Amino acid sequence: MTEPTPSPDPILRGQLLHLLEAVEASGRAVLPRQDGELLLLVVEAAARIFGAAAASIALVDEAGQYLEFRVSYGAGNESLVGMRIPINQGIAGYVAITGQPLAVSNVRTDPRFSKDFAQSTGYVPQSILAMPLISGERVIGVMEVLDKISAPSFGMQDMELLGIFARQAAIAIHQAQQVSRLDAAFLRELRQLAGQHDDAGLLKDLLDGLAQTGNGEGEQLKAVADVFYALNLLGEAEQRACFEVLSAFARYAKRTPADIRGME
Amino acid sequence: MAEETLRPAWSSQFDPEVLPRLATSGPVGEITPEWAWGGSTGKGVRVAVVDSGVEAAHPALDGCIRGGVAFEYDESLESRVRLEADDPPVDLTGHGTACAGIIHSIAPEAEIYSVRVLGRELRGKALQFAAGLRWALDHGMQVVNLSLSTSKEEYYGLFHKLADEAYFMNVLLVSAANNYPVASYPSLYSSVISVAASDGGDPFTYFYNPAPPVEFGAPGIDVDVAWLNGGRSQITGNSFAAPHIAGITALILSKYPELTPFQVKTVLMACARNVAQAGA
Repeated sequence: MTEPTPSPDPILRGQLLHLLEAVEASGRAVLPRQDGELLLLVVEAAARIFGAAAASIALVDEAGQYLEFRVSYGAGNESLVGMRIPINQGIAGYVAITGQPLAVSNVRTDPRFSKDFAQSTGYVPQSILAMPLISGERVIGVMEVLDKISAPSFGMQDMELLGIFARQAAIAIHQAQQVSRLDAAFLRELRQLAGQHDDAGLLKDLLDGLAQTGNGEGEQLKAVADVFYALNLLGEAEQRACFEVLSAFARYAKRTPADIRGME
Repeated sequence: MAEETLRPAWSSQFDPEVLPRLATSGPVGEITPEWAWGGSTGKGVRVAVVDSGVEAAHPALDGCIRGGVAFEYDESLESRVRLEADDPPVDLTGHGTACAGIIHSIAPEAEIYSVRVLGRELRGKALQFAAGLRWALDHGMQVVNLSLSTSKEEYYGLFHKLADEAYFMNVLLVSAANNYPVASYPSLYSSVISVAASDGGDPFTYFYNPAPPVEFGAPGIDVDVAWLNGGRSQITGNSFAAPHIAGITALILSKYPELTPFQVKTVLMACARNVAQAGA
């Protein structure tokens, strides 16, 4: 056959490239990392994939009352981070409350009415595509990509594509949050134990042990951390059980100080 | 293949390439938009917008908002939901104002009531939503715009019961499909008028699709809508397709108040752009 190979459809090629980038970025995001680092990775990837001038992530606080902007990439990024808005306000609030994505372009406020939130960040976007970050059935935050560079507004294909990406990102973020919450609970229990005895000596020893490799104690603690991580992969009931066991152990340990001293 | 996976399920039904061309015969085939809603303003029809509230003073609404209530989640109550007055109604997100604005632009003399069910927190949303719908049924609303839905299976029965009740009370529920291709209630029930976004900007041009999950396609892509603080914006979502059909439904009911939900649906179908009179 001497038929020339047809050149691939440039739109299709672009879409495939975007999909591959999305898969690659989501895969990298699944690695447990420091919370902030992970979020930054996700928004950078989102901005790149969707050709957006800026992107941000706001997470729902533990009480479910506020959305707090945690990371931002691109235009207007400094002033946005740290801002909190009530969970039910604005475009991000709507998306958080309903769990539905929304694409808005060309927002024009009537000057007779008060200024809205975007203007207080010093950067007023022309177009916004906001997606809920959903883990299980819970909305944990909202990801927004702002001002698509290659087109005047976000279309439906972008809504669908960002949906796929947002689902992956939400899983990674939720997992990182759970790991850090379990870490915090573990340290809190350890501190309580340490507080019973001479200053924070026990805690320091334990943490030093954790940092060292090849040390028997450190290995043991790392194994404990692995158990915590494995528990985190299970459901909420299992995690509650984990807390209860840990608390029971702490209560038991308080009653037998001699045994604890033996560990020192 | 790749292009196929990128297309959202909710609008693909109304792609001109896949949308069937249908024909109706007999008296149904003779129904025209002129007969159905020509000369109607929606006068005397009460329309509830169950949503995030409505900015009653928005210049695009010309004072068409007749009242409002809000439902908040309250764990201390057995019903978990507390009714509050919201008069004049407010809107915290802009979404409900957009829906009310679309309905008003189509049916300028319809009486619109705001039923705010998107409350202050994430918990109990489906219960607030159900309570808002219940309120609309109990307060003489004839058309209820539902540009929201729940995907939780546990509420399937509750919303199905409410939708059936509405049907037999001659209350038209116009329900937007979720923007994600997931099951969403009440949009999936056959007793409601389900709507998704289709292409096109003419507010009176819509499409009928006989196969589930969504029956009607109306403008919902880059629609110019009323937004917060007296503003406007261009916006995309199935949420904005539903109020187009709700507005047209109000026009039809204003002209023919005796029509039942299945008759209204028949009239809507007969006037859809892709439905022609047999043999015409």
